[in-house]
Amino acid sequence: METQILSKADANAADDIRLVSQVLNKDRKATAEFVERYTDCVYSYVRWRVMPQADAVEDLVQEVFLAAWHSLENFRGESDLRHWLLGIARHKIEDYYRKRLREPEVPNEIDQDPSEQAVIPALEAQLDHRSSLEKTHRVLARLPEIYSLVLLWRYLEQRSTREMAQLTGRTEKAIERLLARARDRFRKEWENGD
Amino acid sequence: METNDGDEQLSRIFREVLQAELQEPAPSRLKARLYSALVRAQQETGPLQSLTKSEAAGRGLCVFEKLVQIAPIGEKAKSPFFCWACHARILAEEMEDAPIFWTNCPYAEFQKR
Repeated sequence: METQILSKADANAADDIRLVSQVLNKDRKATAEFVERYTDCVYSYVRWRVMPQADAVEDLVQEVFLAAWHSLENFRGESDLRHWLLGIARHKIEDYYRKRLREPEVPNEIDQDPSEQAVIPALEAQLDHRSSLEKTHRVLARLPEIYSLVLLWRYLEQRSTREMAQLTGRTEKAIERLLARARDRFRKEWENGD
Repeated sequence: METNDGDEQLSRIFREVLQAELQEPAPSRLKARLYSALVRAQQETGPLQSLTKSEAAGRGLCVFEKLVQIAPIGEKAKSPFFCWACHARILAEEMEDAPIFWTNCPYAEFQKR
């Protein structure tokens, strides 16, 4: 059984290396196979992380593939091609969060304090995973962009406030305040439902 | 480290999002645009591999590529990105379920789910 798993992994790695070699040789048909095989996973990965900004998703996916082409000769097959691409996607998304949160544009309510401790009602316990997922995305889509991005970066990408502060040039305190307001707004939108 | 209840609850909600993360098919139009963009990027550093070599590697050619491939012209003339001038590319980049059905056309393949 273990041998079978190993040999399947070896076959996949060999297949990745073959495809990469053909793409590097500028075989347009291999390039089409590369796009067909990997776009769905990169698209899903980016979409769930940037979805409220739907117009950014396709641009980011294209950036991922173009960056992949420019560094494809460095692909050694140490990880599979899917994970290698998702690594590039992760960097692109991080760049996107960083750029957007560095911009001075903030909602008017930013100067107000959160009205109360931002506790999310335990409603999610009553929802199944799919409903919870859909509701989370609906709520995120209704938030000002800076709020949805800061929540996604903190809770989906699990970046600490210190890291976020370093990456955006804001103070840690400013990030914490922004997060508190984003949580507060998320809670209100969650309670408001659809 | 934030420890308030809102922080913990949001961590839990987003963990569920990660666990439930489902693979969704990308729009075929996006695949078409990606393919065109990649091939254009490949052309920036020199010609594409000729269609004769692609076919020798076991890749199928569409009817238009086949005509180019059998034409009595040099290999260099078989390297350009002919899809650039093809209606299939234009349709596929602009719409989902584009009405293109050519065998071995990458843009037609992207329409298949």
